[in-house]
Amino acid sequence: MLAAVALAAALYGLYLDHLVTKQFEGRRWTLPAQVYAAPLELYAGLPLSLPELEHELQRLHYRRTTHLERPGSYRWQGEHIEVALRAARFADETRPAQVLSVTGAGTQLAALRDSAGHDVPVLRLEPLLIGSIFPTHGEDRIVVTPQEVPALLPAALKAVEDRKFDTHHGIDPVAMLRAAWVDARAGQIEQGGSTLTQQLVRSYFLNSRQTISRKLREAVMAMALDAHFTKADLMNAYINEIFLGQDGNRAIHGFGLASQFYFGKPLAELELPEVALLVAVVRGPSYYDPRRHPDRARGRRDLVLKILTDQHIVSAAQAAAATRAPLGVTSRPAGAYYPAYLDFVRRTLRRDYREQDLTEAGLSIYTSLDPRAQDQAERSLERELAQLDRTSKHPQAALEGAAVITSPQSGEVIAIVGGRNVGYDGFDRALDAHRPMGSLVKPFIYLAALESGRYNAATVVQDAPVDVKLANGAHWRPENFTRRVYGAVPVVRALAESLNLATVGVGLDLGLPKVAQTLQRFGLTAPPALLPAMLLGAVPVTPLEAAQLFNGLANGGFSNPLRAVRAVVSADGKPLKAFPLTVTQVAPPEAVYELDRMLIEVMDRGTGRSARALLPPQLVVAGKSGTSSDFRDSWFAGFSGTHLAVVWVGYDDNAPTGFTGSSGALPVWAHIMAGLDTRSWSAPMPESLAEVHIEYPTGLRVVPGCSEDIVAVAVPGTATLPPKPGCGFPEGEGAFSNVLERAAQWLRNLTH
Amino acid sequence: MGGRALSTVLLAAVLSACAMSGSGESRPAGQGGSAGSASGTAQPPPPTAPARPPAVPPRPFRLGAATSALVAQAHAQANGGDYGQAAATLERAVRIEPDNPLVWIELGRVQLGSNNAAQADALARKALTLGTGDASAQAFAWRLIADAARARGRTADAYDADRRAQELSAR
Repeated sequence: MLAAVALAAALYGLYLDHLVTKQFEGRRWTLPAQVYAAPLELYAGLPLSLPELEHELQRLHYRRTTHLERPGSYRWQGEHIEVALRAARFADETRPAQVLSVTGAGTQLAALRDSAGHDVPVLRLEPLLIGSIFPTHGEDRIVVTPQEVPALLPAALKAVEDRKFDTHHGIDPVAMLRAAWVDARAGQIEQGGSTLTQQLVRSYFLNSRQTISRKLREAVMAMALDAHFTKADLMNAYINEIFLGQDGNRAIHGFGLASQFYFGKPLAELELPEVALLVAVVRGPSYYDPRRHPDRARGRRDLVLKILTDQHIVSAAQAAAATRAPLGVTSRPAGAYYPAYLDFVRRTLRRDYREQDLTEAGLSIYTSLDPRAQDQAERSLERELAQLDRTSKHPQAALEGAAVITSPQSGEVIAIVGGRNVGYDGFDRALDAHRPMGSLVKPFIYLAALESGRYNAATVVQDAPVDVKLANGAHWRPENFTRRVYGAVPVVRALAESLNLATVGVGLDLGLPKVAQTLQRFGLTAPPALLPAMLLGAVPVTPLEAAQLFNGLANGGFSNPLRAVRAVVSADGKPLKAFPLTVTQVAPPEAVYELDRMLIEVMDRGTGRSARALLPPQLVVAGKSGTSSDFRDSWFAGFSGTHLAVVWVGYDDNAPTGFTGSSGALPVWAHIMAGLDTRSWSAPMPESLAEVHIEYPTGLRVVPGCSEDIVAVAVPGTATLPPKPGCGFPEGEGAFSNVLERAAQWLRNLTH
Repeated sequence: MGGRALSTVLLAAVLSACAMSGSGESRPAGQGGSAGSASGTAQPPPPTAPARPPAVPPRPFRLGAATSALVAQAHAQANGGDYGQAAATLERAVRIEPDNPLVWIELGRVQLGSNNAAQADALARKALTLGTGDASAQAFAWRLIADAARARGRTADAYDADRRAQELSAR
């Protein structure tokens, strides 16, 4: 009987030994893909002041010092900031750690020099880690090599958790007996007495239930591990395996990720108080959560510091200084900053990668997210929605919103906000809210009109009652927002003031298919229903789709598929996939230029003019408001020379907001644009166009001084514009008014 | 691989031309306000109305110091046959100077080098639009359009584009 039990125990022991060895030897942590923001390019002439540069360095958790020491620090001396840059890996190269001296001159950078004093033409800061794509079971980690671990960490872990780690055989019988004694007295299992090896076994092989049989199993497996692997190997495994925090459904594993999660910087840069805090957290990541229970965490950190002093691992003076240090945790956990943007990244990658590749293979994903633009968009949306809530018609419900910012020429999405609760990883309105685009459709109707050759910016159209008999026998009788009828107006005014009747007239004249085709060329995915209401924007789009459509207008008639991912790099640094910049011409540059000039008038005298007060006075921007029926959706889409932003405001339950595009989305848009370092729209006028002045109310051609209300528009050089009587134009004159200019144009036409 | 050798020669030609046009001088960012378009139409003086004519960057285009360095790096990468890396490097340059047609032409050259003539053509047309008012930049763009057309076997289009390039160079 006894022999049979012994044999069974021996066999079980052998089985566990085999299991442990096999699983642990072939161990490969599943490594969630790490996602990075766009790195900041530094060069002489960059509009970035030294305080702004410092802000960017602090975003990357560089430390300000008086003497440059190791990577991850900087010092500021007068007109220079000297930075000890960390080694960095980009999508296309790795860069060793180096010292860079940056000279500032007012609002821009004047020069960059290396440590030898040589000019550096251009250099990137390392990209900010913005998150990871972790699997559904939620285990997220960054694996570190022993070289990336500060020597203090293993020493501190041993001192606090397992003093005999270097000499025991996987278990510490004395500690176990002591724990058993405490447990027996308490009548339940209270004290662990577990070695680091046992903790590793528990985390790696077992669940966390505290039973006697499980404790036995854990002890046998720990002894097996200890017999087969070196102490250094086990310590490194522990450092990468152990659970150190929870962030929603994301479990923070390993000290590499915990360092980023709590302090926003690499493990190698942690100082004594930070190492002590992480060692404190090991004992109870929830109980000692430094964000939720800072006092408790601080108490335990200080206890760890005391143990380290008692064990002569640090001096009393070091420990005293560390005890005075604040906890130093970042206010928001790294990697949970931008859920809406990460959502777009994930969707992009799912076209090419299996879920498992993303959550396990240790990929690095380089994106175009601009943290400055993202922060600006989040702040503007949060602040303006709170403001709008105060005047809204539904005080009981909270308005929602979404924003997308792109860099129009490259087609890169640089910021996405999916709702006013920006850190919440839930319904992503920027990607999933399909809402009628309202008057955002009008620029595309007028673009189709300009392309037809039958209209230009000065063409007089009739803003007159419309009555369309629909297939079902009903009559469609749209109205202007003001319920007024404006009569004869030039196209530029019809667009600037968003006149419904004039626009519907033009749209019906062109035909619905023509307008639908224009929208689809610019990137509308689903073909719109060919009903007259389409002309007033009964076309559902997401904010991201609206950005795609307007991006083609901001990019001179060239469309590029909006992208967030620049490149994917494997765990060992090999480039796997790039998403290169591609452009497709979707409209003649002349028609788009003519339209863009009219969209500038929207901002100067039309439905966008209230933004003027918020924008820098010299900034030239173009844009269009949109309001869906019954004020359910408030849109604004507009662009400068370097940024396009689309904002949507509305209720999730689709209730009327009482806001137009101009009163709801526009203030959000204007705050976003005002806070970006953006440059004026400044496309060169195509040579076949001419700039002419017309009377804004009538569209008649004038010379300056000949009328009170004049607007400059771009029209084809061959266009014949009726002059205002008494303004001194010969009848039938084309837009190119003098003979020499017409000759020059004739020559150019020959050569083009 | 004749195509690669050809494109390398052309890259070198564009680089030397850029160098000749005086790299190292960065253009000021056009911030609104100033006088009207540079397209040479005989226009009346600015109106009294609030419409502010959009500013246009000064011509001819040059590469700034940062973009010059990136273009040189891209050339080295393309010469080594790594068109993917060259394109990535040039995209950095595009982000720094998105309105500079010379950068777009470089990107188009790299696309042509990696046998993507359709994309090279599209990028050249983008450069053509941006290069309005700069005959030299537009001539480079037309040459790229010609080369892209040749790569696609469209000799008539190539001939036409070359002719336009020559006429612009002669201006």
